[in-house]
Amino acid sequence: MRGLAGKLLHLDRRVIFVLIALATLIPLLRPIGLPVRISPEVRQVYDYIESLPAGSVFLLSLDFDPASKPELYPMAVALLNHAFKRDLRVIGMTLLVTGTGMAEKVVSGVASEHGKQQGRDYAFLGYSPGGSNVIIGMGQDLAAAFPTDHYGQRTTDLPVLQGVNSLRQVNYVISLAAGTPGVESWYVYGKEKYGFELGGGVTAVIAPGLYPFLDTGQINGLIGGLRGAAEYETLIGMKGKAVAGMDAQSATHFVIIGLILICNLFYFLTRRTTIRSFGSPQGRPGSPREAGR
Amino acid sequence: MAPSVLIGAWVAAGLTLFMFSFLYKDNPFFRFGEHLYVGISMGYTIVRIYYDVMVKSLYTPVAQEGKWWFLIAALLGLLILTRFIPKVSWLSRISFAVIVGFGSGVAIPRIISSNILQQVQGTLRPILNAGQSSFGMAQFNALLILIGVITVLIYFFFSIEHKGAIQVAARIGIYFLMINFGAGFGYTVMGRMSLLIGRFDDLILFASRDYGYASLVLLGLIAFGLFLWERRSSALSDPDQDRRAAGSDPHAEG
Amino acid sequence: MTLFLRRTFPLLLTFLFGVAAALQYYIPHPLSEAALTEISVWLRIILGFAMILGIASLCHVHYAKIRTRAAGWGYSLVVYLSMLVTVAVGLWSRGQEEGTGFGWIYTYALLALQGTMFSILGFFVASAAFRAFRARSKEAAVLLVAALIVMFGRVPLGEYLIPAAGPLAGWILNVLNTAARRGILIGISLGGIATSIKIIFGIERSYLGGRD
Repeated sequence: MRGLAGKLLHLDRRVIFVLIALATLIPLLRPIGLPVRISPEVRQVYDYIESLPAGSVFLLSLDFDPASKPELYPMAVALLNHAFKRDLRVIGMTLLVTGTGMAEKVVSGVASEHGKQQGRDYAFLGYSPGGSNVIIGMGQDLAAAFPTDHYGQRTTDLPVLQGVNSLRQVNYVISLAAGTPGVESWYVYGKEKYGFELGGGVTAVIAPGLYPFLDTGQINGLIGGLRGAAEYETLIGMKGKAVAGMDAQSATHFVIIGLILICNLFYFLTRRTTIRSFGSPQGRPGSPREAGR
Repeated sequence: MAPSVLIGAWVAAGLTLFMFSFLYKDNPFFRFGEHLYVGISMGYTIVRIYYDVMVKSLYTPVAQEGKWWFLIAALLGLLILTRFIPKVSWLSRISFAVIVGFGSGVAIPRIISSNILQQVQGTLRPILNAGQSSFGMAQFNALLILIGVITVLIYFFFSIEHKGAIQVAARIGIYFLMINFGAGFGYTVMGRMSLLIGRFDDLILFASRDYGYASLVLLGLIAFGLFLWERRSSALSDPDQDRRAAGSDPHAEG
Repeated sequence: MTLFLRRTFPLLLTFLFGVAAALQYYIPHPLSEAALTEISVWLRIILGFAMILGIASLCHVHYAKIRTRAAGWGYSLVVYLSMLVTVAVGLWSRGQEEGTGFGWIYTYALLALQGTMFSILGFFVASAAFRAFRARSKEAAVLLVAALIVMFGRVPLGEYLIPAAGPLAGWILNVLNTAARRGILIGISLGGIATSIKIIFGIERSYLGGRD
């Protein structure tokens, strides 16, 4: 048994790759459709948009590049659908250069599905370099930060931006982000001084880092990862890519949980080691390197 | 279906499978895709900078609105590029000084307010308000957060020796950190799997009849290509195997 | 004079801009706000040029490989060709992506390549978890248990099998994880402020690059 355990611990990683590929592929081809429970932090975003009267200004900053598309694009689709359904004035933009094409496509695509007109019902400002500097610039003077929109039209001439001189006149900002610049930048350089309400939609990798801001109310809601996007789709009654991906998410998680449990079982079978605390014999914390011994 | 969409689907499926071929091993398909990505993203960035910065933020205000003072900003920008000319590269320091100085200055008060004062306030407020209602789950959670924040900060405070009460606090802090890392790992797994689900979703779409079974055909072609490459690589390294059999040192395989 | 321009003047500029930017936050006077607005516009232009720096560096690296016919120089040729084609198509499309060749390159090439490059990590996470994620100590065991609860409780199947898993994972995130992250956030922020002050006062000079 120990011999087998030892061999399996050194399994060719390509076998694991095949397992993961199958766990992803099969549920996508044959979905089950388990219900998605709504978490409070996602509901808070939904409830806030529901509370905004028609004509309120909603700024969606799509601060992600194609690498994060699977998680954040469905969030963008769901949020834009919700915002257009509520007849909010939507402003789209991005702080990441390679995200510009995606951002433009999703804003104009969802808008056209709702019969919304560019310039009248929504604006797409496009990209500007500088991250936090752009946020400060928009907070001071929107027209100075973006003299023209992505299509070359002067922002001061756009009907949808009438009365919106800076971020102070924006009712709600949501940043969809995978890192920096992102939600934290929008808070530190934006909401902190200019006072708009802020929500966040982030990749699962950075989501845990934003819970302190959620706890203090610095952000009023948080949509985390594909799971968060699926929850939002469920709230607005939409069956999009996020909900469709949840079965595959479940399968892959269970495969990895299984792999971790098996690996630990084999590890204890081969090592006969009892769990101890890392660090020096005196019980001081010691360095993290010692934990690997 | 428009020809551009059909061709695009085949290109996207092919490039996706090129990148996935790395899972087998590093190979020319992956290297080609990797370098293609670098080139296209550089080209895309250049075009975006040209239109979104040079034209919109510089040319239009200067040429059409008479805001000539933006040329000073352009000059500072050009000074950055002197970094490539060793004799005058010191000129770039002027621009970096402006960027870094302004960035550092603007960050200080904002970070103090957002990340320190408001975080401390958010930690203490529930505790200070706890006396106004009975001790329930919310109060327990607030107490846990307070203990967690303090013990984690104590753990990272290496200027004093961790012994006695400080040592106990630091050990509690470590456990909070381990839970945080565990939650982070769980979410990282979730995030990475989501990216995979997204790509597989596209591959499944491109495997449909509407797209001419692109994913399936290309998968077969790439697998065959890898097989031929593998055979060629082993044929080239065969002389090494003969020399090994004769007793000389083997070459390291790249 | 040369030494002043090369070394002291940049440090002086850093100090002036740093102090001015920090003080501006506390001065709501219209002139102060107008200055902030103007500088942020200038910085947008300057940072656009800074992005060219990164691209020029990459171009130089690959050009050197092609010139010296170093190993893999053919791939560097791919970089150059693809970059030039993208720029040419982009300029021809006037930077617009809707229904243009530039948009086609973005949608069917860049999206596929960049998306797949990072999705490969999913496989490696699984492989690494199997090979290395072991409860070698009490602390590692705590990490492991927390990870398993979060992975189990944040998917519909986990919540379907054990309904309490979802709220438990949520509690871990909202309370225990928040506590640790807040401690880390405060620590990093204090460190960041210390570094910013050192930069402004010229103690930290690495951003200037190279010896005088």
